[in-house]
Amino acid sequence: MTQNAMRSQLTLFFQAAIARTYPRVAWMFRNRTWLLQETLLPMLSVASFAYVYEAMNAPKAYVGYVILGAAMTTFWMNVLWSMGAHLYWERDSGNLELYIMSPSPMMGILAGMAMGGMTTTVVRAMAIVFTGMVVFDVPFHPSSWWLLGLVFSLTMVALYGLGMMFASVFLLFGREAWHTVNLLQEPVYLMTGMNFPIKALGTMTHMAIPAVAMLIPLTAGMDGMRQVLFNSPGFVDVWTEIALLAVLSVVFLFFASRTLAVLERKARNDGKLTVKWQ
Amino acid sequence: MIEPFRTLGWSTWLGWQIESNWADLRLFILYLVVKPVCGSLMLVCMFFAAKYAADAGGVSGRVPAEFLPYIYVSNACYGLVGTVMFGMSYVVISDRESYRMLKYIFISPAQFQVYFIGRGLARAMEGFVGGVITILVGLLIPNIRDTVQLGNIDGVWLLVFLGIGAVMLWSCGMLLASAVLNMSRNGMFLSEGIAGLVYFLSGVVFPITVLPSWLQVIGLSLPTTYWLEGMRRAITGIPPEGSPLAASPLAKWSNPELAAALTVTTVVLVVVSQLFYRYSVNKAWRNGKIEETTGV
Repeated sequence: MTQNAMRSQLTLFFQAAIARTYPRVAWMFRNRTWLLQETLLPMLSVASFAYVYEAMNAPKAYVGYVILGAAMTTFWMNVLWSMGAHLYWERDSGNLELYIMSPSPMMGILAGMAMGGMTTTVVRAMAIVFTGMVVFDVPFHPSSWWLLGLVFSLTMVALYGLGMMFASVFLLFGREAWHTVNLLQEPVYLMTGMNFPIKALGTMTHMAIPAVAMLIPLTAGMDGMRQVLFNSPGFVDVWTEIALLAVLSVVFLFFASRTLAVLERKARNDGKLTVKWQ
Repeated sequence: MIEPFRTLGWSTWLGWQIESNWADLRLFILYLVVKPVCGSLMLVCMFFAAKYAADAGGVSGRVPAEFLPYIYVSNACYGLVGTVMFGMSYVVISDRESYRMLKYIFISPAQFQVYFIGRGLARAMEGFVGGVITILVGLLIPNIRDTVQLGNIDGVWLLVFLGIGAVMLWSCGMLLASAVLNMSRNGMFLSEGIAGLVYFLSGVVFPITVLPSWLQVIGLSLPTTYWLEGMRRAITGIPPEGSPLAASPLAKWSNPELAAALTVTTVVLVVVSQLFYRYSVNKAWRNGKIEETTGV
């Protein structure tokens, strides 16, 4: 590929990514109801689980775990619904065939979906953390802001890489996309220790279970952030978790581009790109 | 007279097909079980995490043992509320936006509300099976097995609370479905939000005495609070004397008093839901919302 052709491909990639980011960010300003549905509603489940710990006389940091868990849940939900299942919705609304027909690369469109989703979700997550801090008076004292930023950034890259992989797999799905996404909620909350230290799951069952769960970026990310935020002991050392997240980021992004190419071709062959209302 | 039953039968069948025929039976059963069981197991993990923290701090008795069956059974029962409320309101979105069939149901001789009830029944079956299996799985955990025993279950009161609860669930579902009729696809967040609000205010996973007093008043005005207390009591019995769970304002109520409170609040809910349903259908019809696809 010549230098000009490569430059043109890169330009197209970023143009597609920005174009797909735009509607997600613009939505934040045009449809203000998200403020209610995306901050107040998650706070209700935070409140429920926080009161569970209060009723059990658990340490105050555990309420902080719940708040952090709720904030990170919004990213997982975004990855599932707005990345994974989104191509299914796009197919229903007729946009998918336009994406495929256009010269813009699908990876650029997925990257745009990820960037837009991340932007809006960061705002939601911050609102949840802030409200949680105010309502439940949970002290967040990070031992290092840099470390916290590093763990969070790597978690995001790995998580949205996984989301891109989901999106390509879901190209082949019909109605089962909805159910699969539903199925990836509670089990993942359990496996990742969304509301409790992941070490407790190992103590209850076997340490191999949280070790396997570490392959989900949320597990390592939340455990690392808890170590930094609450100075609490984690499942493994925070630097090990950082290394794991870096590896997961590369692996997921690589497989996302590979599976997208393979499954897009399969979806074309099987005539699944335009099938609606399955 | 036979028409409503025919509508009910067909809409229940349709609802069941939509919910179940996307996968083979084994996968569907796995799906039915995994979600509620994992939700309840998360509470089990929270309980043990708090217990380990107390043990490590040298205050082993700080986490009352009776909390575990309380939160586990309560959460399993609440699954029914969530599935029916979300299921009935999601019918509006899926039939209108995805399958684009709502307008045809509306102009057909089928009774609109009965159609929703049928679809809700299909979801209720899912929720019921999920709840029962969750409780059965809970029996594998010693602390829960000690409390939930077949001999302890009060079958008569369980049936009474399930019966009144069915009417309550129908009304809750109709309220939400009516509201969603006049909303776009974003309406699906409403049912999730209301389900979260009810989960919080009804003291599903904690005794409502933990809440500020003004929130306790709101909680005590909800039929779900009485229903859950009744269901818990029928399955696990009354909490032991001196337990923080026995400090609940409902702990001293007898079963007939609970059933009466549930009946009264449910009757109010039925009246409100029926008035709201008529208003909402009329409004949606006038504003063209029954056939509107928003794509958002």
